Amino acid sequence: MTPIMSALPFCVAAWLFAIGLYGIVTSRNYIHLVGCLGVCQSATYVLLLAVGYRWDSVAPIFYDHPPGTPAVDPVVQALVLTDIVVGATLTALLLVMAIQVQKRRGTLDPEELAPMKEQQAADACKGRVAEPQR
Amino acid sequence: MSLLDAIPSGVLPPLPVAIPLAVCALILMLSKRLHGHMPDILATLTALVASALCMLIATRAAESGPLIYWFGGWTPRDGHAVGIGFQIDAASAWIAAFIGLLYAAAFVFAWGYFTNVHGHFQVLMLLFLAAMTGFCFTRDLFNLFVWFEVMSVAAFALTAYRLEGSALSGALNFTVTNSLAGFMMLGGIGLIYARAGTLDYEGLRLAVAANARDPVVAAAFCLIAVALMIKAAMVPFQFWLADAHAVAPSPVSVIFSGAMVSLGLFGLAKLTWVVFSGSDRILAALSDAMIGLGSLTAILGGVMALRQRHLKRMLAFSTISHAGIMILGIGVLSQAGAGGLLVYLVGHGLVKGALFMVAGILLATRASIDEIGLRGLGRGIEPAGIAMALGGLLLAGLPVGLLDQGTHLMQGALDERGHRVALIATVLGCGLTGAAVLRGAARIFLGWGSVAGDEARAPSEDEQEKADRPLWLMLAPCLFLLALDLAAPAGPVEDLVRNAVPNFLHMSEPQTALPHGIAWLPWLSVAMAFAIAGYDLSRGHLPKVLLKLGSGVQAGPFRLLDAAHSGLIGDYVTWIVVGLALLAGRLALA
Amino acid sequence: MSLRLRLILLALSALVLVPGFGSVIGHIPGFGSEIPAYGELINRIGPAERQVANMVSAINFDIRGLDTLGEEFMLLAAIAGTVVLLRGQRGTDTADTAIRLPGRPLVPRAEAVTLVCRIFGPLIAVFGLYIVLHATVTPGGGFQGGVILASGTMLIYLGEGYAGWRRSVLSGWLDAMEGGGALVFTLCGLGPMLVGAAFMENLLPLGIYKDMLSGGLILIENLGVALAVTGGFTQLFLEFMEETREPAAGEDTPSE
Repeated sequence: MTPIMSALPFCVAAWLFAIGLYGIVTSRNYIHLVGCLGVCQSATYVLLLAVGYRWDSVAPIFYDHPPGTPAVDPVVQALVLTDIVVGATLTALLLVMAIQVQKRRGTLDPEELAPMKEQQAADACKGRVAEPQR
Repeated sequence: MSLLDAIPSGVLPPLPVAIPLAVCALILMLSKRLHGHMPDILATLTALVASALCMLIATRAAESGPLIYWFGGWTPRDGHAVGIGFQIDAASAWIAAFIGLLYAAAFVFAWGYFTNVHGHFQVLMLLFLAAMTGFCFTRDLFNLFVWFEVMSVAAFALTAYRLEGSALSGALNFTVTNSLAGFMMLGGIGLIYARAGTLDYEGLRLAVAANARDPVVAAAFCLIAVALMIKAAMVPFQFWLADAHAVAPSPVSVIFSGAMVSLGLFGLAKLTWVVFSGSDRILAALSDAMIGLGSLTAILGGVMALRQRHLKRMLAFSTISHAGIMILGIGVLSQAGAGGLLVYLVGHGLVKGALFMVAGILLATRASIDEIGLRGLGRGIEPAGIAMALGGLLLAGLPVGLLDQGTHLMQGALDERGHRVALIATVLGCGLTGAAVLRGAARIFLGWGSVAGDEARAPSEDEQEKADRPLWLMLAPCLFLLALDLAAPAGPVEDLVRNAVPNFLHMSEPQTALPHGIAWLPWLSVAMAFAIAGYDLSRGHLPKVLLKLGSGVQAGPFRLLDAAHSGLIGDYVTWIVVGLALLAGRLALA
Repeated sequence: MSLRLRLILLALSALVLVPGFGSVIGHIPGFGSEIPAYGELINRIGPAERQVANMVSAINFDIRGLDTLGEEFMLLAAIAGTVVLLRGQRGTDTADTAIRLPGRPLVPRAEAVTLVCRIFGPLIAVFGLYIVLHATVTPGGGFQGGVILASGTMLIYLGEGYAGWRRSVLSGWLDAMEGGGALVFTLCGLGPMLVGAAFMENLLPLGIYKDMLSGGLILIENLGVALAVTGGFTQLFLEFMEETREPAAGEDTPSE
């Protein structure tokens, strides 16, 4: 195969990862950011599948082809399956957090979602007296 | 003991992982039927059993060498691994045993705190435990990734548990950065798999040695190392940690700071030695990078810890600082360094776990976590104050106990290889973090320090935890952890480092004489901690000139640091890319 | 940090990373030229020693079964986390109606929709089971089949409405399915140890190559995973759907 073709899938993987990162860095909406994270993850799918591919080979399922037929690497496919589950779990968790953060802060803009507010020096020593328990 | 002796070594390795998983599935299955404290009891017992099994494995491994176990009976063929293997050396088993104990303590500390979620808390924590144990034991790179991800997923959910705005934003930052870490790790695995055609550590080790200057191997290392350094919160990947640890419920923070962060370093140390040590190019770059970043992290974490008023956030920054000290143990590339790292990891986990428990006690009994707001409110729970002060002293380097033995080994190793700057960084890191904790203890429990310095401007928030547990129940695990750190005997620990660490590192020529640290260095950091804490606490009484000088020193660069910890995910991801480029650049030059 | 500064830093990093990537591309085995030795080995072992036609299943449930055990529990962690985080202060009350946006018209469900759902629901369930059971022969397995089965339950919502969905899908049962399935999988690992074999060693009769009942333990593990995934994903749907429920009196509507 041509040299371009033999490098193309790896370039696609790197490109996907890069634009995913760009999307995360510039994102103004958490749902969009979760999507960008998914784009980053697809880079790993492409990379893994590219590593295990070989021209003129069949899928590693020896039903229509007898065992011994040259087949592509089944290991990376199993790894990608695990990776897909990782992606599903992360997306579910991130979306839950996005729902809850929208309810509590009324915004999904990552630029407005710093965890804690900085204190004003004025209220520095204003202690809250709590009732002692037991 | 005869009963224990009857258990053959051959069946032990999968049990510390499989038993917590089985119990966790059981708790979930019966979640509607388990009432009251049943989940608490089950979880605590499981953690104790797992820990005991790990100790048994450790003693067996010390007697007869690492236990090797092939899952599914897939033993290697012609020297090529087929299935997934566990290889458990004594050092890894001790680390896993420590983690089990830490979980048991955390479960007792959280007794009844999470009853309203039908055992889901215990389910997540047990999964977290099983994943950590698997992470310590495995000898398969992809299996390592699986446990890494299970750990992360459980941690993400636990962080957001409080469901307040801050907890959710902290958890989102944590999730996004650590997911990226996972993807990078998988990318690295893909690359090295393309080169080596195996996922087993031994096979990878041979392939790395055969392709020592191959850019593919270097890139794989770069991606995997960055992933683990994100988990271990090295500068410039540390930003997520302060957000996440500060907002997680205190029993969860005990695990995060005590075990999860340092486990990233454990993984990095193991992979560095077992897989990547065959490549001179990688070792040279790695040593520079770890020594440099570690020193920076130790100092930056210490400075930031001192500038906090939210206690959990302050402890989180101190964890960053100590993780920086720990990574130096990898960077020196010596047996004493790695041994120091392992001992330090356990000692730090015990002390930091106890300190987060003190924070939890304050949250439960005084309904606040703000150092300034709590000033003088610690009266009535003095034992917690004593625990906090002791924890602060131990962090500062008080020369007793396990943490000090780790420091001693580490400083000895740094001194031996002539890393002067790193040596100073360890002193500064210990001194600054110790000062921060001591200042907090004195302000809360003695009511000192009515005039606050720069820390008054730090981020903070009202927060409280349910006060549904008696004080002694919360204090007991906290004091237990501190006692464990203090009681660890010096002799056996040193023997362990001498005998077990070479197996952990797959080292062919073990060092028999370990270098000794400089005896007065720990005292220097303790003195520094007292001096800084004293300065901060006596602002009301010091002459104005001195204060002006102090704030002058602190002004510019430190404000920039505060601004960098913006809490914005876009910034954090940018820093991750910068860090990746730094490491890649250093590797390219090597 | 301003957006501009971030982009400048990214660009500077790219200046370092792009040449590094270039040299990696120059040295990595070219796409499609060869496959790693490990894959070749497994392609030889799978049919010969496990009577399995689908190599991916052989890896996931036998040769590298521990990974899948971890993966299964990762899913379980995510779902437990989702339940904790979504249920939060909402509680577990049930109501008969979903929340209604003011101003949006309420269109009654057409009978055709109900009919289509009632016809396709069982069909999807059968298809899901088919995918689960043929894990060792054709592409598919517990994860894929489980997700299909779980999506079948969504037809209950489409066809019978919110109240019908809530009546037929009970969270306690889903927990039991999820935990039970994961437990089955774990016991498939621990069981062989009782007779002195290794964790998850495939001791059951391996059956006939290309037959549905081939692969021994792989089939049981698949059933466990299918149970857990069905329960887990339905739980996920349930919790996300609950977000559309009208909050009962006394439940929180948080704000800051």
